[in-house]
Amino acid sequence: MTSTEQTADTASLPPERTGFFKNLKNGLSVLLSSKTASVGLVIVLFWVIVALFAPLLSPYSPTEQDWRAPNQGPTLKHPLGTDELGRDLWSRLIYGARVVLIVLPISDQVWFPIGTAIWGVIASLLFGASLGLLSGYRGGWMDEIIMRLLDAMMSIPIILLYLIIVTAMGASALNVVIAIAIVGTPGVARLVRSLTLDIRTRDYIRAAETRGESTLYIMFVEILPNAKGPIIIDAMLRVGYAIFAMGTLGFLGLGLPPPSPDWGSMVAKGREFILSGSPWAALWPSIAIASLVVGLNLLADGLREETMRYQ
Amino acid sequence: MLKFIVRRFFLLLLTMFLVSIAVFLIVESSPGNVAKNVLGAFITPEQEASFLAQTGLDKPVYIRYLYWLIGSDWHGEMKMDMELQRITTEDDYLEWWALREDGSLVRWKLEGDDLFATVKSPDGKVRTELDNDRWTTNDQGISTFWGVDHQNHVVKWEKGTDEKVWTFIAGSGWMETSGGPTRYIPLKKGFIRGDPGVSLRTGRPVSKSIFIRLRNSLVLAGIAFVIVMPLALFLGIIAGLKEGSFKDRFLSISGMMFSVIPEFATGIFLILIFSYWLNLLPGATVFGELAPWQRPDMLILPVLTLTLIELGYVLRITRSSMAEVMRAPYIRTAFLKGLPYWRVVFRHAVRNALIAPITVIMLHVNWLMGGIVIVEVVFGYPGLGQYLLNSALYKDINALEAGTMIMVLIAVGTQLIADIIYTFLNPRIRYS
Repeated sequence: MTSTEQTADTASLPPERTGFFKNLKNGLSVLLSSKTASVGLVIVLFWVIVALFAPLLSPYSPTEQDWRAPNQGPTLKHPLGTDELGRDLWSRLIYGARVVLIVLPISDQVWFPIGTAIWGVIASLLFGASLGLLSGYRGGWMDEIIMRLLDAMMSIPIILLYLIIVTAMGASALNVVIAIAIVGTPGVARLVRSLTLDIRTRDYIRAAETRGESTLYIMFVEILPNAKGPIIIDAMLRVGYAIFAMGTLGFLGLGLPPPSPDWGSMVAKGREFILSGSPWAALWPSIAIASLVVGLNLLADGLREETMRYQ
Repeated sequence: MLKFIVRRFFLLLLTMFLVSIAVFLIVESSPGNVAKNVLGAFITPEQEASFLAQTGLDKPVYIRYLYWLIGSDWHGEMKMDMELQRITTEDDYLEWWALREDGSLVRWKLEGDDLFATVKSPDGKVRTELDNDRWTTNDQGISTFWGVDHQNHVVKWEKGTDEKVWTFIAGSGWMETSGGPTRYIPLKKGFIRGDPGVSLRTGRPVSKSIFIRLRNSLVLAGIAFVIVMPLALFLGIIAGLKEGSFKDRFLSISGMMFSVIPEFATGIFLILIFSYWLNLLPGATVFGELAPWQRPDMLILPVLTLTLIELGYVLRITRSSMAEVMRAPYIRTAFLKGLPYWRVVFRHAVRNALIAPITVIMLHVNWLMGGIVIVEVVFGYPGLGQYLLNSALYKDINALEAGTMIMVLIAVGTQLIADIIYTFLNPRIRYS
């Protein structure tokens, strides 16, 4: 039994790999054949590259203050101007992109790779997929309880959830991840559950059950990989939501704690100085977050349109 | 149908109940100290303890939840063995008094070892008298008395302890008095009896400020709604008529852009354009005592922000619904029958295409509320959202709970209404 399984596994590995690269290549060609998707890709790539190479792209650190030059417009020395403490807006902007897309700062010294917003999406996928699989595959009272709880959660205004969660836990990057994850979980769970309900009627699931596989194995090895297509497109849109949410939390003063560069809190602080004559500190991060979110949505939209056309 | 509505109504109550418990527990477990939030960081531990006791915050969380939900006057009545009554004074203050057998109202004050009763007779006359007969002495020889004090608590006085009380009076600072009670039960009627309690942040009853805030928010949302709906449905139908045309692409891409850009960014762009560069409109809302509609110029930018965000969303839903209907066989049949183009569009397509958007719009209220909170913060608009945000940051539990309950009620209520409307619009759906 196990030996046949292993051979089956090893036999299936190579074609899967080529399948992956073929998929990637196909995906890229699909992407580039859509004008909206390519525009989106350019915008998103711009921010990813800027965020990745942030330390090389600006001579200033995002927290370096220059008290002789607060609230300046664009100059040669500071291409986008400075904020109320004389910090260079360009470096704050690109380090802000870094926090969103590339790093998750845990404390002053410790950080994880992959951005805060993206960790939020990964975590909601993790929780959501587990709940959805469990609910869809097991069915019965477990399904009923999980779905009713998630329904109740979904009926609560999202902003309220964010407010309550983040005020309860205090403002930090990790808590922003948790907030995004909790808010995203019900949506992912519903999607995965509906996909699971469809997939569990297939013959290969019946075969796995007859082989005597464990529930966990069937859920994560048989069902989940076969549901990945819609989940991936959904996840791309979710990254957009997550950046939106991160910005909003930062704007409400619930984002990353003060000195760290956070687009939302930069806008909130800069807003106070608009009417006294220095709009730049609020303008740039607003443009940054708007362009990134629009880019991601263009990308996802174009992709969905193209895949639908091919189908 | 009726059964369905009743079931959903109970689900709504259940959701509110669960959410109210969750909010209590979360605020309970969250860091931060409400006494320090209210009174400043430099209070002494005695002052803090006195404040917590007077506001009832020293009690275990389940008792506070119970008090919040169903009130605490019954508990006070049990302790005192007298009936309690809440009256509204001429200056619009709420006061709690105990009811004496002869129909007059009474409250007490301790001075030294002497108990003074303030008696208010039914004709409105107030007099003070010595009332030392009320002391009961227990087997340890300690004289105690449960009564109503002058700050709306049921309290327990003990002869000889002479507790010190610190009261914080806005404007004049701390006042130290003696003759304090040893235990407090702050009196309130409880949420389900229509009394959400007193805001710790403002010291005013929550019900007084929250309805003004709610009214302001509804004005904002209402105006935006009235502008968005016809416009978005119209543009969405235009875009969906011919899928893939330039009009369609332009409308759906710009609609998408407006709906995904965070509200605060849109708000900042509008402030910069209209109030900073063009200098046409005020960039913030300052009403003072005025109602929002008395300064319509200040409403323009907040409403515009909300409109742009909602417009994109509703437009896209209408567009896809319209495009789907236009592909349907019965539309092709209508065209092939030789009916005029606009007649097919209006009589056959639009009617069917509007079912989806109308219900989706109702479900979208949830999202709209998030937008309103942000717009209120961007423009400094005195609405429910800002009230809620400040209460959450302050750990002002009574205000936070009341605001949360209103929001959940609106969100779940509109979902219920959406389901009901849907059954009327779409005869294929039957709940039974």
